[in-house]
Amino acid sequence: MISIFDFLAAAPTVESDGVVGDITRTFNVTWPLFLSQVVSFLIVAALLKKFAFGPVQAMLEQRRARIIAGEENLKTIQKQLAESEITTAAAIAKANDEAVRLINEAKESANSFSEQKSQEAIAQAQQILAKAEAAARADRDRLSLELKREFGRLVASTTSQVTGKVLTDADQKRINEDALAKVEG
Amino acid sequence: MRFLVTTSAAWLFGILSASAASGGHDHLPPHAEEIANIGPFVITNSMLMVWIVAAFIILVAQLSTRKIALIPSGLQNFVEWLTESLYTFLEGILGAHLVKRTFWFFGTIFVLILFTNWFGLIPGVGTVGWHLTGPGVDPHDTFRPFLRGGNADLNMTAAMAFTFALMWFYWAITENGAKGFFAHIFAPKGKFTGIMALGMLLVFAFVGVLEIISILFRPVALSFRLYGNIFAGENILENMMLVTGSEGIGKWLAWLPPIPFYFLELLVGVIQALVFMLLTSVFLKLICDHGDHHDEKEHSH
Repeated sequence: MISIFDFLAAAPTVESDGVVGDITRTFNVTWPLFLSQVVSFLIVAALLKKFAFGPVQAMLEQRRARIIAGEENLKTIQKQLAESEITTAAAIAKANDEAVRLINEAKESANSFSEQKSQEAIAQAQQILAKAEAAARADRDRLSLELKREFGRLVASTTSQVTGKVLTDADQKRINEDALAKVEG
Repeated sequence: MRFLVTTSAAWLFGILSASAASGGHDHLPPHAEEIANIGPFVITNSMLMVWIVAAFIILVAQLSTRKIALIPSGLQNFVEWLTESLYTFLEGILGAHLVKRTFWFFGTIFVLILFTNWFGLIPGVGTVGWHLTGPGVDPHDTFRPFLRGGNADLNMTAAMAFTFALMWFYWAITENGAKGFFAHIFAPKGKFTGIMALGMLLVFAFVGVLEIISILFRPVALSFRLYGNIFAGENILENMMLVTGSEGIGKWLAWLPPIPFYFLELLVGVIQALVFMLLTSVFLKLICDHGDHHDEKEHSH
């Protein structure tokens, strides 16, 4: 089997006549040398592609991808922040409305309760006043009755001592009534 | 302090070059020299240089990506900056789609040419080697350097240029299709009717033939441009070391004249890498360009 090595070994030297022949001879351009350089360059280019530009480009690509991902994340974060701000503002507004409503309800409730308690207090006070008046009236009537009795007894006693006469119940009653009528009149 | 370090480095660089050159090599041949054979494969000193440069690039890339940090610093930062700048630059020429497909090739072309050019300036390259002895040895060509500037070998630059030519053809066909590829070269540009259309068909067919000739010559031009610049630079450096002569104090001052040219060659190294990459990428863009109308459509999407 003829291999590329056999072909290269058998390759003729470029030694044509004329200007081209002169040039190739001067600069020693021959097929074996030229093809050896081509193979060498291809190997070097392949090695540089795999071991030099490959890793460096991968590194740059990784960095570029990271920057793009970072920018995407930034956009997402900014969007989320904007949404969050809207949500927060809405929540604050809702909470504010709720707070106002609660305060108003509390005020209304407080007013109502206060009114109720005032009415209750007034009723209690009136009740207490009525009771006090009734008690005072009862005391006065009791005292008036006691006074009348004492006055009657004193009048009857005095009359009895002055006249020296034992008074009957009817007399005592009449004298008492007369005396009371004069005192009260 | 920086000035002191730079100046000292330049002096040391020159002294090392001069002392290496005084090792006794006879002349700088216009071609690379064989140092070994693996079967039919010929290993030249320029090829060895390219392998060393490739190993260096791979080592740097591996070191920079070994511990990837979120916030890059040091070597990782430098490698990221270089690769990203190159990618963005090529994206400006080729567009987002093509650069994704072809960056590995153009990146390799630029970095490999650049560091091969710069490595060729290291003292000892082209000046440290061995002497051939025995019968049949040309008495004017007995010195064999271990290393030679990678791009000071027409076989190497031609290998890159012709590899690009094949890749160019492959990318052009896969991007345009066979019909689109030939239409791109031969079809009239613009809208013509009647006799004008017929005339333009003939004109553009002739232009297409010229375009084909231009395409065929591109790898040749690319090869010779890079080779010529780098080989000329090496010649200048070598000849500058000889201007002080080999006698008396002149022998010890041989390092002085090449110093300005080392800085020039550092610049030439970057420019030639850039030119090669730019031309190849523009050649690809030209064949894959679908015209302004299509671009406008793309932009409108």
